Amino acid sequence: MRRIILFFIASIYLFSCDPRQTDLSGEVDAYVPVYGSLSDIHDIAMEPQKSTLKPGKIYAYKNYIFQNDLYTGVHIIDNSNQKNPVKIAFLKLPLSTDIAIKGDYLYANNYVDLTVFDISDPVHAQLVKRVANVFPGPDQDFPPFRGTYFQCPDKSKGIVVRWEMQHIKIPNCRR
Amino acid sequence: MKKNILYLLIILLFFCQCEKDTASSFQNSGTTGQGGSLARFAITGNYLYTVDENQLKVFDIISGSNPVLKNTVDVGFAIETIFPFKDKLFIGSETQVYIYSIEDHANPKLLSSAISPQVLRRCDPVVAKDSVAFATLRTNGPCGGTQSILAVYNIKDITNPVEVTTYPVGEPYGLGYDDDVLYVCDKQRGLLLFDISRPYQPTLIDTNINDGSYIDVIPYQNTLICWTTTGIILYDITDNRKPVLIKNIN
Repeated sequence: MRRIILFFIASIYLFSCDPRQTDLSGEVDAYVPVYGSLSDIHDIAMEPQKSTLKPGKIYAYKNYIFQNDLYTGVHIIDNSNQKNPVKIAFLKLPLSTDIAIKGDYLYANNYVDLTVFDISDPVHAQLVKRVANVFPGPDQDFPPFRGTYFQCPDKSKGIVVRWEMQHIKIPNCRR
Repeated sequence: MKKNILYLLIILLFFCQCEKDTASSFQNSGTTGQGGSLARFAITGNYLYTVDENQLKVFDIISGSNPVLKNTVDVGFAIETIFPFKDKLFIGSETQVYIYSIEDHANPKLLSSAISPQVLRRCDPVVAKDSVAFATLRTNGPCGGTQSILAVYNIKDITNPVEVTTYPVGEPYGLGYDDDVLYVCDKQRGLLLFDISRPYQPTLIDTNINDGSYIDVIPYQNTLICWTTTGIILYDITDNRKPVLIKNIN
Protein backbone atom coordinates (compact mmCIF):
# COMPACT_ATOMS: atom_id res chain seq x y z
CA MET A 1 0.00 0.00 0.00
CA ARG A 2 2.81 2.35 0.98
CA ARG A 3 4.52 1.59 -2.31
CA ILE A 4 1.45 2.52 -4.24
CA ILE A 5 1.26 5.80 -2.40
CA LEU A 6 4.94 6.45 -2.98
CA PHE A 7 4.52 5.66 -6.65
CA PHE A 8 1.57 8.00 -6.81
CA ILE A 9 3.50 10.81 -5.16
CA ALA A 10 6.44 10.15 -7.47
CA SER A 11 4.22 10.36 -10.52
CA ILE A 12 2.75 13.64 -9.37
CA TYR A 13 6.28 14.89 -8.94
CA LEU A 14 7.25 13.70 -12.41
CA PHE A 15 4.21 15.28 -13.96
CA SER A 16 5.01 18.50 -12.22
CA CYS A 17 8.33 18.58 -14.05
CA ASP A 18 6.72 18.71 -17.46
CA PRO A 19 7.83 21.67 -19.54
CA ARG A 20 5.02 24.16 -19.32
CA GLN A 21 3.23 26.10 -21.95
CA THR A 22 4.04 29.55 -20.73
CA ASP A 23 3.48 32.88 -22.34
CA LEU A 24 6.04 35.68 -22.43
CA SER A 25 5.37 36.64 -18.83
CA GLY A 26 6.05 33.05 -17.77
CA GLU A 27 2.46 32.55 -16.66
CA VAL A 28 0.09 29.68 -17.35
CA ASP A 29 -3.60 29.01 -16.82
CA ALA A 30 -3.94 27.05 -13.62
CA TYR A 31 -6.56 26.25 -11.01
CA VAL A 32 -6.07 28.05 -7.73
CA PRO A 33 -7.88 27.01 -4.55
CA VAL A 34 -10.15 29.63 -2.97
CA TYR A 35 -10.21 29.22 0.80
CA GLY A 36 -12.94 29.89 3.30
CA SER A 37 -14.15 29.02 6.75
CA LEU A 38 -17.52 27.77 7.89
CA SER A 39 -18.16 31.05 9.66
CA ASP A 40 -17.56 32.93 6.38
CA ILE A 41 -19.84 30.54 4.52
CA HIS A 42 -22.62 30.91 7.10
CA ASP A 43 -22.37 34.68 7.12
CA ILE A 44 -25.79 35.32 5.58
CA ALA A 45 -27.42 38.75 5.69
CA MET A 46 -29.75 41.17 3.94
CA GLU A 47 -27.83 44.10 2.55
CA PRO A 48 -28.74 47.25 0.66
CA GLN A 49 -28.77 46.96 -3.12
CA LYS A 50 -25.38 47.09 -4.74
CA SER A 51 -23.59 46.73 -8.07
CA THR A 52 -23.44 43.40 -9.81
CA LEU A 53 -19.93 41.98 -9.93
CA LYS A 54 -20.22 38.55 -11.54
CA PRO A 55 -23.64 38.29 -13.16
CA GLY A 56 -25.09 34.81 -12.72
CA LYS A 57 -28.33 32.99 -13.27
CA ILE A 58 -31.62 34.84 -13.53
CA TYR A 59 -35.00 33.95 -12.07
CA ALA A 60 -38.44 35.55 -12.26
CA TYR A 61 -41.08 35.29 -9.55
CA LYS A 62 -44.23 37.35 -9.14
CA ASN A 63 -43.20 41.01 -9.48
CA TYR A 64 -39.58 40.27 -8.74
CA ILE A 65 -36.50 39.41 -10.72
CA PHE A 66 -33.54 37.73 -9.10
CA GLN A 67 -29.99 37.51 -10.32
CA ASN A 68 -27.30 35.49 -8.67
CA ASP A 69 -23.96 37.20 -8.22
CA LEU A 70 -21.59 34.30 -8.55
CA TYR A 71 -20.46 32.94 -5.17
CA THR A 72 -21.61 35.98 -3.20
CA GLY A 73 -25.41 36.18 -3.18
CA VAL A 74 -28.59 37.21 -4.92
CA HIS A 75 -29.70 40.61 -6.21
CA ILE A 76 -33.40 41.30 -5.72
CA ILE A 77 -35.11 43.55 -8.27
CA ASP A 78 -38.60 44.94 -7.80
CA ASN A 79 -40.39 44.87 -11.14
CA SER A 80 -43.80 46.13 -9.95
CA ASN A 81 -43.28 49.22 -12.04
CA GLN A 82 -42.37 47.52 -15.27
CA LYS A 83 -41.25 50.82 -16.74
CA ASN A 84 -38.69 51.28 -14.01
CA PRO A 85 -37.62 48.11 -12.24
CA VAL A 86 -35.16 48.75 -9.42
CA LYS A 87 -32.78 46.78 -7.30
CA ILE A 88 -34.10 46.77 -3.76
CA ALA A 89 -31.77 44.51 -1.81
CA PHE A 90 -28.98 41.99 -1.88
CA LEU A 91 -29.18 38.66 -0.13
CA LYS A 92 -25.65 37.90 0.95
CA LEU A 93 -25.34 34.16 0.52
CA PRO A 94 -21.76 32.98 0.15
CA LEU A 95 -20.98 30.39 -2.52
CA SER A 96 -24.49 30.38 -3.93
CA THR A 97 -25.00 29.76 -7.63
CA ASP A 98 -28.58 28.57 -8.01
CA ILE A 99 -32.03 29.52 -6.85
CA ALA A 100 -35.60 28.39 -7.33
CA ILE A 101 -38.77 29.79 -5.78
CA LYS A 102 -42.21 28.49 -4.97
CA GLY A 103 -44.89 29.91 -2.73
CA ASP A 104 -42.70 32.65 -1.25
CA TYR A 105 -39.96 30.22 -0.32
CA LEU A 106 -36.61 30.69 -2.02
CA TYR A 107 -34.35 27.66 -2.21
CA ALA A 108 -30.66 28.24 -2.75
CA ASN A 109 -27.38 26.47 -2.29
CA ASN A 110 -24.98 27.73 0.36
CA TYR A 111 -21.81 25.71 -0.17
CA VAL A 112 -22.86 22.09 0.58
CA ASP A 113 -26.17 23.02 2.23
CA LEU A 114 -29.63 23.74 0.90
CA THR A 115 -31.00 26.90 2.48
CA VAL A 116 -34.62 28.09 2.51
CA PHE A 117 -35.65 31.74 2.82
CA ASP A 118 -39.09 33.16 3.48
CA ILE A 119 -39.33 35.96 0.91
CA SER A 120 -42.90 37.09 1.57
CA ASP A 121 -41.18 40.42 2.28
CA PRO A 122 -38.15 40.14 0.01
CA VAL A 123 -36.26 43.06 1.51
CA HIS A 124 -36.37 41.22 4.80
CA ALA A 125 -35.87 37.69 3.55
CA GLN A 126 -35.49 35.32 6.49
CA LEU A 127 -33.48 32.15 6.63
CA VAL A 128 -35.97 29.55 7.83
CA LYS A 129 -34.22 26.27 7.21
CA ARG A 130 -30.84 24.75 6.44
CA VAL A 131 -30.58 21.20 5.15
CA ALA A 132 -26.93 20.37 5.77
CA ASN A 133 -24.55 18.43 3.58
CA VAL A 134 -26.83 17.62 0.68
CA PHE A 135 -24.55 18.90 -2.07
CA PRO A 136 -21.00 17.76 -2.72
CA GLY A 137 -18.29 20.29 -1.96
CA PRO A 138 -15.26 20.77 -4.17
CA ASP A 139 -12.52 18.20 -3.91
CA GLN A 140 -10.10 19.38 -1.22
CA ASP A 141 -7.02 18.09 -3.04
CA PHE A 142 -7.63 18.41 -6.76
CA PRO A 143 -9.35 20.79 -9.18
CA PRO A 144 -12.41 19.53 -11.04
CA PHE A 145 -10.58 18.69 -14.25
CA ARG A 146 -7.61 16.55 -15.11
CA GLY A 147 -4.77 17.50 -17.38
CA THR A 148 -4.35 20.91 -15.79
CA TYR A 149 -1.86 22.77 -13.68
CA PHE A 150 -2.97 23.85 -10.25
CA GLN A 151 -1.70 25.38 -7.08
CA CYS A 152 -1.43 22.71 -4.39
CA PRO A 153 -3.89 23.43 -1.59
CA ASP A 154 -2.48 24.56 1.71
CA LYS A 155 -4.74 23.06 4.36
CA SER A 156 -3.62 25.53 6.99
CA LYS A 157 -5.45 28.20 5.01
CA GLY A 158 -8.88 26.65 5.49
CA ILE A 159 -11.46 24.76 3.49
CA VAL A 160 -11.19 24.81 -0.28
CA VAL A 161 -14.56 26.33 -1.15
CA ARG A 162 -14.00 26.33 -4.90
CA TRP A 163 -11.34 26.20 -7.57
CA GLU A 164 -10.79 29.23 -9.73
CA MET A 165 -8.96 29.36 -13.05
CA GLN A 166 -6.26 32.02 -12.92
CA HIS A 167 -3.26 33.03 -14.97
CA ILE A 168 -0.36 32.53 -12.57
CA LYS A 169 3.36 31.95 -12.45
CA ILE A 170 4.70 28.52 -11.65
CA PRO A 171 1.78 26.49 -10.34
CA ASN A 172 3.30 23.79 -8.16
CA CYS A 173 1.00 20.90 -9.02
CA ARG A 174 -0.25 19.14 -12.09
CA ARG A 175 -2.78 16.44 -12.60
CA MET B 1 -15.69 27.68 -13.57
CA LYS B 2 -17.77 30.50 -14.93
CA LYS B 3 -16.37 29.81 -18.35
CA ASN B 4 -17.31 26.19 -18.03
CA ILE B 5 -20.81 27.07 -17.03
CA LEU B 6 -21.11 29.27 -20.07
CA TYR B 7 -19.46 27.02 -22.55
CA LEU B 8 -19.91 23.43 -21.59
CA LEU B 9 -23.58 23.14 -20.99
CA ILE B 10 -26.31 21.33 -22.63
CA ILE B 11 -29.03 23.75 -21.95
CA LEU B 12 -32.58 22.64 -21.92
CA LEU B 13 -35.15 25.29 -21.68
CA PHE B 14 -38.87 24.88 -21.57
CA PHE B 15 -41.17 27.81 -21.66
CA CYS B 16 -44.51 26.27 -20.86
CA GLN B 17 -44.97 28.84 -18.12
CA CYS B 18 -44.07 31.79 -20.29
CA GLU B 19 -47.46 32.88 -21.43
CA LYS B 20 -47.86 36.56 -20.91
CA ASP B 21 -51.15 36.29 -19.15
CA THR B 22 -50.52 34.52 -15.90
CA ALA B 23 -52.83 36.61 -13.78
CA SER B 24 -54.50 33.71 -12.06
CA SER B 25 -51.36 31.90 -10.99
CA PHE B 26 -49.86 35.24 -10.17
CA GLN B 27 -51.90 35.72 -7.06
CA ASN B 28 -51.62 32.15 -5.93
CA SER B 29 -49.28 31.75 -3.00
CA GLY B 30 -48.19 28.46 -4.49
CA THR B 31 -46.84 30.18 -7.58
CA THR B 32 -43.67 28.69 -8.97
CA GLY B 33 -41.15 31.06 -10.47
CA GLN B 34 -39.36 30.72 -13.73
CA GLY B 35 -35.68 30.05 -14.22
CA GLY B 36 -33.27 30.43 -17.08
CA SER B 37 -31.63 27.79 -19.18
CA LEU B 38 -28.53 27.23 -17.08
CA ALA B 39 -30.42 26.11 -14.01
CA ARG B 40 -29.31 23.35 -11.72
CA PHE B 41 -32.44 23.77 -9.62
CA ALA B 42 -35.94 23.16 -10.95
CA ILE B 43 -39.28 23.05 -9.20
CA THR B 44 -42.16 21.13 -10.64
CA GLY B 45 -45.25 20.42 -8.60
CA ASN B 46 -44.32 19.93 -4.97
CA TYR B 47 -40.79 18.81 -5.70
CA LEU B 48 -37.46 20.55 -6.01
CA TYR B 49 -35.02 18.75 -8.27
CA THR B 50 -31.35 19.64 -8.12
CA VAL B 51 -28.33 18.36 -10.00
CA ASP B 52 -24.70 18.42 -9.02
CA GLU B 53 -21.70 16.95 -10.82
CA ASN B 54 -22.97 13.38 -10.71
CA GLN B 55 -26.31 13.21 -8.98
CA LEU B 56 -29.93 14.19 -9.17
CA LYS B 57 -31.60 14.94 -5.85
CA VAL B 58 -35.30 15.10 -5.13
CA PHE B 59 -36.65 17.27 -2.31
CA ASP B 60 -40.26 17.12 -1.20
CA ILE B 61 -41.32 20.75 -0.66
CA ILE B 62 -44.98 20.19 0.17
CA SER B 63 -44.14 21.92 3.43
CA GLY B 64 -42.43 24.88 1.80
CA SER B 65 -40.23 25.79 4.73
CA ASN B 66 -39.12 22.26 5.42
CA PRO B 67 -37.73 20.48 2.37
CA VAL B 68 -37.14 16.80 2.83
CA LEU B 69 -34.56 14.95 0.78
CA LYS B 70 -36.47 12.04 -0.71
CA ASN B 71 -34.13 10.53 -3.22
CA THR B 72 -30.64 10.66 -4.68
CA VAL B 73 -30.06 9.28 -8.14
CA ASP B 74 -26.68 8.65 -9.74
CA VAL B 75 -26.97 10.09 -13.22
CA GLY B 76 -23.51 10.26 -14.82
CA PHE B 77 -20.57 12.62 -15.06
CA ALA B 78 -20.21 16.35 -15.54
CA ILE B 79 -23.90 17.06 -15.11
CA GLU B 80 -24.64 20.69 -15.86
CA THR B 81 -28.33 21.46 -16.17
CA ILE B 82 -31.79 20.23 -15.37
CA PHE B 83 -34.96 21.01 -17.18
CA PRO B 84 -38.48 19.86 -16.46
CA PHE B 85 -40.55 19.12 -19.56
CA LYS B 86 -44.09 17.95 -18.84
CA ASP B 87 -43.67 14.77 -16.78
CA LYS B 88 -40.04 14.39 -17.81
CA LEU B 89 -36.74 15.76 -16.61
CA PHE B 90 -34.06 16.59 -19.15
CA ILE B 91 -30.66 16.43 -17.50
CA GLY B 92 -27.81 17.83 -19.54
CA SER B 93 -24.23 16.77 -19.12
CA GLU B 94 -21.19 17.75 -21.14
CA THR B 95 -21.68 14.81 -23.42
CA GLN B 96 -25.29 13.72 -23.45
CA VAL B 97 -28.82 14.31 -22.32
CA TYR B 98 -30.52 12.00 -19.90
CA ILE B 99 -34.29 11.85 -19.90
CA TYR B 100 -36.04 10.78 -16.73
CA SER B 101 -39.71 10.17 -16.20
CA ILE B 102 -41.06 11.80 -13.06
CA GLU B 103 -44.55 10.37 -13.28
CA ASP B 104 -43.66 9.02 -9.86
CA HIS B 105 -42.38 12.38 -8.62
CA ALA B 106 -40.01 11.19 -5.94
CA ASN B 107 -38.65 8.30 -7.98
CA PRO B 108 -37.22 9.53 -11.28
CA LYS B 109 -36.85 6.71 -13.74
CA LEU B 110 -34.30 6.78 -16.56
CA LEU B 111 -36.08 6.54 -19.92
CA SER B 112 -33.31 7.30 -22.33
CA SER B 113 -29.86 8.71 -22.69
CA ALA B 114 -29.62 7.83 -26.35
CA ILE B 115 -30.48 11.11 -27.99
CA SER B 116 -28.84 11.44 -31.36
CA PRO B 117 -25.63 13.43 -30.86
CA GLN B 118 -26.30 15.77 -33.77
CA VAL B 119 -29.64 16.66 -32.25
CA LEU B 120 -28.87 17.57 -28.67
CA ARG B 121 -25.16 17.84 -28.27
CA ARG B 122 -23.46 19.69 -25.53
CA CYS B 123 -23.62 23.45 -25.84
CA ASP B 124 -27.04 23.19 -27.41
CA PRO B 125 -29.72 25.25 -25.71
CA VAL B 126 -33.17 23.98 -26.51
CA VAL B 127 -36.65 25.31 -26.09
CA ALA B 128 -39.71 23.22 -26.63
CA LYS B 129 -43.10 24.42 -27.71
CA ASP B 130 -45.82 21.83 -28.02
CA SER B 131 -44.27 19.21 -30.26
CA VAL B 132 -41.55 21.44 -31.70
CA ALA B 133 -38.10 22.08 -30.23
CA PHE B 134 -35.70 24.86 -31.13
CA ALA B 135 -32.01 24.49 -30.42
CA THR B 136 -28.96 26.60 -31.04
CA LEU B 137 -25.85 24.64 -31.91
CA ARG B 138 -22.76 26.71 -31.21
CA THR B 139 -19.60 25.65 -32.96
CA ASN B 140 -16.92 27.93 -31.58
CA GLY B 141 -15.29 27.20 -28.26
CA PRO B 142 -14.93 23.60 -27.13
CA CYS B 143 -18.11 22.37 -28.75
CA GLY B 144 -16.94 21.38 -32.19
CA GLY B 145 -18.84 21.56 -35.47
CA THR B 146 -18.54 23.81 -38.50
CA GLN B 147 -21.49 26.22 -38.61
CA SER B 148 -23.52 27.59 -35.70
CA ILE B 149 -27.19 27.08 -36.41
CA LEU B 150 -30.67 27.44 -35.12
CA ALA B 151 -32.25 24.03 -35.61
CA VAL B 152 -35.88 23.00 -35.47
CA TYR B 153 -36.92 19.52 -34.40
CA ASN B 154 -40.06 17.51 -34.35
CA ILE B 155 -40.32 16.08 -30.83
CA LYS B 156 -43.61 14.23 -31.00
CA ASP B 157 -41.59 11.26 -29.83
CA ILE B 158 -39.61 12.94 -27.09
CA THR B 159 -36.97 10.26 -27.01
CA ASN B 160 -36.36 10.54 -30.73
CA PRO B 161 -36.21 14.15 -31.95
CA VAL B 162 -36.11 14.57 -35.71
CA GLU B 163 -34.36 17.59 -37.23
CA VAL B 164 -36.63 19.35 -39.70
CA THR B 165 -34.76 22.51 -40.64
CA THR B 166 -31.79 24.73 -39.73
CA TYR B 167 -30.92 28.43 -39.94
CA PRO B 168 -27.34 29.80 -39.80
CA VAL B 169 -26.52 32.12 -36.87
CA GLY B 170 -23.36 33.63 -35.30
CA GLU B 171 -22.44 32.65 -31.74
CA PRO B 172 -25.69 31.58 -30.12
CA TYR B 173 -26.37 30.98 -26.42
CA GLY B 174 -29.74 30.80 -24.65
CA LEU B 175 -33.10 31.18 -26.30
CA GLY B 176 -36.74 31.51 -25.40
CA TYR B 177 -40.06 32.27 -27.01
CA ASP B 178 -43.10 34.37 -26.44
CA ASP B 179 -46.07 33.22 -28.47
CA ASP B 180 -44.85 33.18 -32.09
CA VAL B 181 -41.58 35.03 -31.58
CA LEU B 182 -38.37 33.22 -30.71
CA TYR B 183 -35.54 35.18 -29.06
CA VAL B 184 -32.01 33.91 -29.59
CA CYS B 185 -28.96 35.27 -27.75
CA ASP B 186 -26.14 35.70 -30.25
CA LYS B 187 -22.84 37.10 -28.99
CA GLN B 188 -21.80 38.18 -32.48
CA ARG B 189 -25.04 39.58 -33.82
CA GLY B 190 -26.99 40.58 -30.73
CA LEU B 191 -30.50 39.55 -29.86
CA LEU B 192 -32.09 37.77 -32.82
CA LEU B 193 -35.83 37.52 -33.29
CA PHE B 194 -37.50 34.83 -35.36
CA ASP B 195 -41.10 34.56 -36.43
CA ILE B 196 -42.10 31.01 -35.54
CA SER B 197 -45.78 31.18 -36.45
CA ARG B 198 -44.86 28.45 -38.91
CA PRO B 199 -42.43 26.71 -36.56
CA TYR B 200 -40.73 24.57 -39.17
CA GLN B 201 -39.96 27.68 -41.25
CA PRO B 202 -38.54 30.24 -38.81
CA THR B 203 -37.95 33.62 -40.45
CA LEU B 204 -35.63 36.29 -39.12
CA ILE B 205 -37.44 39.47 -38.09
CA ASP B 206 -35.58 42.58 -39.22
CA THR B 207 -34.36 44.19 -36.00
CA ASN B 208 -31.05 45.42 -34.75
CA ILE B 209 -30.91 44.86 -31.02
CA ASN B 210 -27.39 44.82 -29.72
CA ASP B 211 -27.18 46.48 -26.32
CA GLY B 212 -24.87 43.98 -24.68
CA SER B 213 -23.48 40.49 -24.75
CA TYR B 214 -26.51 38.24 -24.33
CA ILE B 215 -26.26 34.94 -22.47
CA ASP B 216 -29.84 33.92 -21.78
CA VAL B 217 -33.42 35.19 -21.85
CA ILE B 218 -36.62 34.71 -19.90
CA PRO B 219 -39.74 36.09 -21.60
CA TYR B 220 -41.86 36.93 -18.58
CA GLN B 221 -45.23 38.64 -18.83
CA ASN B 222 -44.59 41.72 -20.98
CA THR B 223 -40.91 41.83 -20.18
CA LEU B 224 -37.97 40.12 -21.78
CA ILE B 225 -35.37 39.51 -19.08
CA CYS B 226 -31.90 39.19 -20.58
CA TRP B 227 -28.89 37.98 -18.69
CA THR B 228 -25.85 39.69 -20.16
CA THR B 229 -22.18 39.72 -19.25
CA THR B 230 -22.74 42.97 -17.34
CA GLY B 231 -25.94 42.09 -15.50
CA ILE B 232 -29.51 42.30 -16.75
CA ILE B 233 -31.09 44.15 -19.66
CA LEU B 234 -34.88 44.43 -19.73
CA TYR B 235 -37.10 44.98 -22.76
CA ASP B 236 -40.79 45.70 -23.01
CA ILE B 237 -42.25 43.05 -25.29
CA THR B 238 -45.88 44.17 -25.22
CA ASP B 239 -45.37 44.02 -28.96
CA ASN B 240 -43.29 40.89 -28.94
CA ARG B 241 -41.83 41.63 -32.39
CA LYS B 242 -40.55 45.03 -31.29
CA PRO B 243 -38.69 44.87 -27.99
CA VAL B 244 -38.27 48.31 -26.46
CA LEU B 245 -35.35 48.85 -24.10
CA ILE B 246 -36.54 49.47 -20.56
CA LYS B 247 -33.24 49.58 -18.73
CA ASN B 248 -29.92 48.05 -17.82
CA ILE B 249 -29.48 46.75 -14.30
CA ASN B 250 -25.84 46.32 -13.44
